[in-house]
Amino acid sequence: MLAKLMESGNKKIADMAVNTNFRSYRFRNDRIFFQNASLRDKKILGLITKQTGKEIMRMEVYDCKQKTDLAGATLLWDTKNNQKITSLAGKNVIKGGKASWDFYWQLFGRNSIDNKGLLIKQYIHYDKGMDNAYWDGRRMVYGDGDGTVFTSFTSDIDVIGHELTHGVTENEANLNYENQAGALNESFSDIFGIMIKQRFNNQDVKKSDWLIGEKVLIGPKYALRSMKAPGTAYINHPELGTDPQPATMDKYQNLPNTSSGDWGGVHINSGIPNFAFYVAAYNMGGYAWDKAGRIWYAVLTDKTLVQNANFADVKNLTIVHAEKLYGINSPEAIAVKQGWTEAKV
Amino acid sequence: MKIKLIRTGGFIPVTKMAETEINITDSEMGILLKVIRAEPESPRIKDGSYYELAVGSANIPVDLNKVPAEYQQLFIKLKEDLKIIKAGKAL
Repeated sequence: MLAKLMESGNKKIADMAVNTNFRSYRFRNDRIFFQNASLRDKKILGLITKQTGKEIMRMEVYDCKQKTDLAGATLLWDTKNNQKITSLAGKNVIKGGKASWDFYWQLFGRNSIDNKGLLIKQYIHYDKGMDNAYWDGRRMVYGDGDGTVFTSFTSDIDVIGHELTHGVTENEANLNYENQAGALNESFSDIFGIMIKQRFNNQDVKKSDWLIGEKVLIGPKYALRSMKAPGTAYINHPELGTDPQPATMDKYQNLPNTSSGDWGGVHINSGIPNFAFYVAAYNMGGYAWDKAGRIWYAVLTDKTLVQNANFADVKNLTIVHAEKLYGINSPEAIAVKQGWTEAKV
Repeated sequence: MKIKLIRTGGFIPVTKMAETEINITDSEMGILLKVIRAEPESPRIKDGSYYELAVGSANIPVDLNKVPAEYQQLFIKLKEDLKIIKAGKAL
């Protein structure tokens, strides 16, 4: 089909077909190269920084027994003893924690949250009917949900990856948790959370639904966020109404920097950089973590990324790193630019 | 005296509220608020949720882990009664 189009009498069609063929060829070969590249090759290319093959994950899971006293929580499981557990939430966080650690280690040579082998601590069954999960600077904490609108916040691997990534961000750029920097902080968590899920499920950019927390929010039509179409994760939900996330900068919401204003809309305006990432990754094709993920990780760990960075700063850095990793005018650099253009940043 | 417990923040920003009438003097309320007032966090908890107590026209950030024993049941009941406030609806 493509060969026929390349020989088309219509110059425009022929040009487009040749261009498409060239890009497909590059994508195929890049993917084969990265699949076959040895750890040493990846290290030389700067794609892996510290992996030595010696580090192992360390994790502990605690049961809060529906109370809010974290210091009084009971140890349920740890990597050293690998206790047999029956709790579904416990199994979920072990699975999600392992998938997150593997993701950062196997792809980027990152040894845990702080890249120094930090013990991953996860607390489940926090409070009675708590419909939330959070990172408090030292650990991840999950509620069971109210059982009506939300189920356990351990139900989705992307939510677990999201929380763990807050720890990674805190140890890297430490983006302020307010306004655009806060929305970027949230967006990095969603971006790495979705890739952790995609990798765990072996999903490429086309197979993935790009939904965050589709099990946590009860109901087959609902999820907590959509990276593919921000603002559509839930529509006319009987309790929550409609997802308030914008996908583009012209719909950016100026909200008060208070808790009730979501610290300037950190979970709302994150839809904009989320959408930019989705478009970039989708246009690159294949697995999101192979190229787009590598670019965004390079930005997250870039020492020039300042704590009060705005969307334009991250846009510029993603372009710089895409060009550095894949070349100026490479399909990857073009895809990154397309992402931010679509998001109107 | 009418009081409202308000919860904000979270993985998706949701506001929840519960209200009740309590038999308490202004002075007792002043002491209670002093005890349970939450200190600002630094750095902020990522995806954290926060509680405020609305008394009259004032909204005071509160830390429910500091609630004295004699008020525990009141706050447990208020927490159980929290209902989502739909966007745009006044508190």
